[in-house]
Amino acid sequence: MSKALKAKDQLVRILVPAGKAAPTPPVGPALGARGVKSMDFCKEFNARTAHIEPGVPTPTLITVEPDRTFSFITKTPPTTYLLKKTAGIEKGTGRPGHEVTGTISLKHAYEVAKIKAKDAHLKHLKLESIASTVIGTARSLGLQVVP
Amino acid sequence: MSFLTPARSSIRQAFSPCLARRYAAKSSNPERIPNISTKDTSATEEKTLSSCPPGTILEGLNYLKGQPPVIALPDEEYPSWLWDLLKPKVYEDDGPGGKAEKKRLRKENQQRIKDQNFMKTQ
Repeated sequence: MSKALKAKDQLVRILVPAGKAAPTPPVGPALGARGVKSMDFCKEFNARTAHIEPGVPTPTLITVEPDRTFSFITKTPPTTYLLKKTAGIEKGTGRPGHEVTGTISLKHAYEVAKIKAKDAHLKHLKLESIASTVIGTARSLGLQVVP
Repeated sequence: MSFLTPARSSIRQAFSPCLARRYAAKSSNPERIPNISTKDTSATEEKTLSSCPPGTILEGLNYLKGQPPVIALPDEEYPSWLWDLLKPKVYEDDGPGGKAEKKRLRKENQQRIKDQNFMKTQ
């Protein structure tokens, strides 16, 4: 995240629950410090994430221009969030590789990869590569991946 | 298990250890029976590649509003590369200086460094 650079755009990366923007602690100070009115952002964000189940964490990248106008991009939910929901676990392990928190099938990994493939920054990758990434993330959560 | 215990005690009293050994195999049957049934199904359909039967609901992946639950499809409908994802990736041998050799050498070097670092801690 870039700090106060006068002539350049500032980028803010934030994880916001879909449809539930505007709480002061996470969103307010992060945007307010860069001169963006949080109400404007929240209204637009909630409108754009209206098609997503409320509460799903949505990574957003907000670009704030020097004249305080902003634009933002929303991405697919974090892979760990999707995997935890599929496996039915609350948290990953503190000791991946040593502790097992749950089991996931390759079919689950495939479906998660299909969701992630909708992201713009993953469009150039084969679904096979995205699926291997998802499996790697599952392993880091302590999830056992079985065929 | 409970209906076996009186039978087990009477057999144990009446017969020798060799039969008790055979009996031990019997007593584990109740646990084995479910395993045998799944072994039978997997033997008859050895083509089932997945532990996830078709029609299983994959929870949590319908994160859009009003999206129907995501259901697992039959194994044939998934791409064939999916089943190779858990196997260690094989690089075909390109000859000296090829990709396979580079990967192998790097792996060996990294393992050697890790071993040396570990030995230094001992």
